[in-house]
Amino acid sequence: MLTTTAIFPDLPAFRPEKTRVSGLSLSRGDLTLVRDFSLDLGPGEAVLMSGPNGTGKTTLLRAIAGFVRPDEGRVSFGAGPEPASSADCVAWLGHADGLKSVETPRQALRFWAQMGGQGRSAILPLLRAMAIESLIDRPVSRLSRGQQRRCALVRVALANRPVWLLDEPAGPLDGGGRTRLADLVAWHRSRGGSVIAATHQLLDWSDARRIDLGAHR
Amino acid sequence: MSALGAILAREARLAWAGGGGPAGPAAFFLGAITLAPLAIGPAADLLVAVGPGIMGFAALLSVLQSADRLFGDDHVDGTAELYLLSGVSLPGLVLAKVLGQASATLWPLPVIGLFGALMYGVPVLPACVGALALLAAIPALSLIAGFAGALAAGVRRSGLLIALIATPMMVPVLIFAAGAGRSALAGDERALANLLLTIAVSLATAALAPFGIVAAVRSRMG
Repeated sequence: MLTTTAIFPDLPAFRPEKTRVSGLSLSRGDLTLVRDFSLDLGPGEAVLMSGPNGTGKTTLLRAIAGFVRPDEGRVSFGAGPEPASSADCVAWLGHADGLKSVETPRQALRFWAQMGGQGRSAILPLLRAMAIESLIDRPVSRLSRGQQRRCALVRVALANRPVWLLDEPAGPLDGGGRTRLADLVAWHRSRGGSVIAATHQLLDWSDARRIDLGAHR
Repeated sequence: MSALGAILAREARLAWAGGGGPAGPAAFFLGAITLAPLAIGPAADLLVAVGPGIMGFAALLSVLQSADRLFGDDHVDGTAELYLLSGVSLPGLVLAKVLGQASATLWPLPVIGLFGALMYGVPVLPACVGALALLAAIPALSLIAGFAGALAAGVRRSGLLIALIATPMMVPVLIFAAGAGRSALAGDERALANLLLTIAVSLATAALAPFGIVAAVRSRMG
């Protein structure tokens, strides 16, 4: 359900993937962060992970993306006999936005479009959907934190991957930005994509599953 | 292939936009070879004799000077994670990244090395051989610096760690590159052998270092 009049571009369809996390245990030093965490996520579904600071939301997301090796358990994508790897199907938004301060959104997004083998034509409509199309030629160092985050969200959408892993996506966003984020996520789910987001904010995503990580220690 | 081209072009652009392109290494190199004679003394025959060696040595230091930025910046601003998930072959990616930055920032080194050697009184032919050897050494030097930089990414005072890791690994390429210039000066045929060995070290580094860099970037993620 879209709440603004944002128009999203027609990207080539991707193959929707299942995400399966089974029996994941994570620790930092000798501190156990997550114990025996399991999650099954199908196409079109969204999960909002919450929990106090330090419960391991970020570490869990990083483990699902394959950046950190879990103590136990495994993460797999796809249902077929040949499981896909995170490098095939994950679009990532971390704490840092992955932008270079001397680049403009146009340069950065063109680069990532080329890296992902995507066309450039979707850049402008996506920037418009996040309401930052007027900033396309302004260096990232002169964008506010919220504007940088919107630009990073455009990069996530531009990757055209089925599984989005978002770490505090709404952190620096204002009310309008959160609405547009919700629309972006709704659009992604309507295409068969899935989203796992770590957040401590109350995000109003329609029928998103909510998981309190504090209960998994 | 177009993804690797995009990385090459982007690294060159970032080097110009954020770090003044070749200005940093060039200024460092110029400073080092200008100061060295002041410390060594004005004896002309001595300067000729040390010329090729000083050029190789100073070039090595100026490559190290910017080694912390290449992978350190990516680690801090979140680009490294995006690279890991990009689906592009990672050894190819880091090779393109290092060579893209090297081509944008280190191209003045052979030129300065040539004119520096001439000003030290080294004859034209040995000076040219020395400059060629510097050119041949740049891939090895920048990849070793990149490897050390990737291992030290996100570490405070990474410059110290980089110097400790990279300098021992740079010993062979320094010996061969400076040796090419020195042999050419002495007029013996080992100059060509040294030049070829420098190229060999650069090629071997280009084949091996990318895998080490990828492993280092991954290990710094944990």
